[in-house]
Amino acid sequence: MKKDLLEVGYGSVAKVKIGEGLPLVFLGGPCAIESRDHAFKMAESIGKICRRVGVPWIYKSCYDKDCRSSPNSFHGLGADHGLRVLADVREEFGIPVVSDFSEPEWGKATGEVCDLVQIPAYLCRQTSILRAAAQTNRPIHLKKGQFMSPWNMKNSVRKLEAAGCHQILLADRGTFFGYNMLVNDMTSLPIMAKTGYPVCFDATHSIQLPTSMGNISGGQREFIPYLVRAAVACGINALFMEVHDDPANALSDANTVLDIKYLENILGQAKAVHEMRLELLAKYGEDNVHPEK
Amino acid sequence: MSTPKNNQILVSEVMMGLDRIPVIQEAVILKEALEEMGRTRLGIVCIVNGDNKLLGILTDGDIRRKLLKVQKPFAAFFVDDALDHAICSPMTIKPGNTLVHAVDVMEQKQIWDLPVVDDKGLLVGLLHLHPVVQALLGSK
Repeated sequence: MKKDLLEVGYGSVAKVKIGEGLPLVFLGGPCAIESRDHAFKMAESIGKICRRVGVPWIYKSCYDKDCRSSPNSFHGLGADHGLRVLADVREEFGIPVVSDFSEPEWGKATGEVCDLVQIPAYLCRQTSILRAAAQTNRPIHLKKGQFMSPWNMKNSVRKLEAAGCHQILLADRGTFFGYNMLVNDMTSLPIMAKTGYPVCFDATHSIQLPTSMGNISGGQREFIPYLVRAAVACGINALFMEVHDDPANALSDANTVLDIKYLENILGQAKAVHEMRLELLAKYGEDNVHPEK
Repeated sequence: MSTPKNNQILVSEVMMGLDRIPVIQEAVILKEALEEMGRTRLGIVCIVNGDNKLLGILTDGDIRRKLLKVQKPFAAFFVDDALDHAICSPMTIKPGNTLVHAVDVMEQKQIWDLPVVDDKGLLVGLLHLHPVVQALLGSK
């Protein structure tokens, strides 16, 4: 199996391929699964937009938000209920789904439902989590920790590989700049791509201001379109954005999720920039500034 | 020093075998390669694949030149695959070549070490200048 081509989707759902030279893939949905009805509503709404724009997509939502700032924050529906909802979304809409897990013992159940299994950024170097993820035999969406350098993600990749996983999508979601602040270093994308695996940019978590509001995280949503254009032009294979129909009342990441009313505009731009990058690549060839050679 | 006796000495008689030379696999990172180079104190490491085919070599001089050329943080440099910074088509010598021929190659290329490979390109040893000199002087 080629490591630079990720094939997501088992059973009867749409198969989504992620890799260089292929259409940009969208990973999106509400941060947390809030209810079955809401999940269905979001899957339907986002699906319509993706079809209009012409972007292959994977539904993203999590059943357990274990890294919330406050003990009073919504934690999620839990593995049993949440995974049932995701399984129903797959079945109803015929789309692949992705969710993360934060306890090694949840890996098996997560992999039995999800087409793509996600490693939370804060846990990206936890060997037990990475090993459990590899054992699902699903492709893995590995997010770069905000505290990690892009080159050190190679160590996490090697942990997955050592456990038998060679289907990996590496994502950047911003990097800590002091306290309560993230910056976005686009050089992380080609650096992580050097592992040979496809790369993804998480635009909504990248504008997060971690725990800047005392016991919840803030965010600067106004910068999402700028960062999307920059990352897609830089060179990514997938774009990740959390989307909600009512951000102010979202149960998780209310300050960073993208209002669905902006999704079509941003996805349309992302698709256009991605296609232009591929055209430029075809016209001018690979970037040839390689001081290491 | 080309004498009738010296002309008979073969590379295989003087080379260091695989148990004595620094050899790493292709996925080993630069930091570990440097440790291996330090362990054997030869200033060179040979990089091979799983079949022991020689893929490249890395020397102290290569690292010195890279440090001036690649201006990224040490932490990023250390975690690169050593092979990324290696000489991937190094000069090599065969075990059946004469030592005098090997010295000629070292002289022409101004190098102190020659990986020794068989006809299939598999690494079988390393010819280091010091034992070569010793062998040639010893057989005067």
